[in-house]
Amino acid sequence: MRIPVQLFDHATNDAVEGELFDEVTVEHFLETQRDWRPAVIEAAKAMLKSGAPREGVPRHFHWDWSRKEADLKVLAFSFFGITCGGRLQGLMKLETAGRSCRLPAQKGKPLVYVDYLETAPWNIKTLAQPLGKAPQFGAIGSRLIEAAVRKSIEEGFKGRIALHSLSTSEQFYLEKCGMTAVSRDPAKQDLLWCEFTPEQAELFLGEGGGAA
Amino acid sequence: MNTKKTMTLNLTDQEMKVLEELSVQKDLTKTAVLRQALRLYQLVDVKLAEGGKLFFEDQKKEKAELMVL
Repeated sequence: MRIPVQLFDHATNDAVEGELFDEVTVEHFLETQRDWRPAVIEAAKAMLKSGAPREGVPRHFHWDWSRKEADLKVLAFSFFGITCGGRLQGLMKLETAGRSCRLPAQKGKPLVYVDYLETAPWNIKTLAQPLGKAPQFGAIGSRLIEAAVRKSIEEGFKGRIALHSLSTSEQFYLEKCGMTAVSRDPAKQDLLWCEFTPEQAELFLGEGGGAA
Repeated sequence: MNTKKTMTLNLTDQEMKVLEELSVQKDLTKTAVLRQALRLYQLVDVKLAEGGKLFFEDQKKEKAELMVL
């Protein structure tokens, strides 16, 4: 699957077309390690050096997508990526089996779990700024969450999705996407479990996958 | 979206009853329940082949290994 998606170019304030795809390969994982990880680490160091609050420093500097190579062949996992300008701009791993809702109103019902979602560091304002750069493209995260919701609908889960949010991303998931904060999970470093009901998912899609 | 292929499935009355119950409980179509089952079966198989172990934990936090496949 390859479909065009609308992104936002911060430099020109114009919409720009990217491509959402699900044929993710190990080459994409290696690209994140080669192009993304050094920039995330460099930004984290610059933030710490400048005295930025620790809670604002990226928590995903240690992520390694290449360790997920074996998961590419497992039906219970799905991967999506977004490219624009010939470069990988975002990557997401979903779990489509064995996860269930925690919200009392839909407890026990199956959902799509967003295991990993990462945007290229040059698209994240808080990472680009310490490196003296402006963020490049917007709406990457929104387009990926939109893909997760559509996958949930395709699986028969009616748009129900959930994820454990890093502290630095809570505002995005709760305020921009409109997910419900369910509870902190002591089994997952006290990260916040956020969840979409079918109604919230429909609203999110109706609003064009959240704002850029 | 991937192209889907159709197959005929023969189930006993009891198997069909369980499938229908799961379908209602999980708010899924019967096809979606079976697709979930396939995904979980493959996942467990892969993890066991990698040397993983599958445990269920009861409320007393006492683990019991589940021998599968």
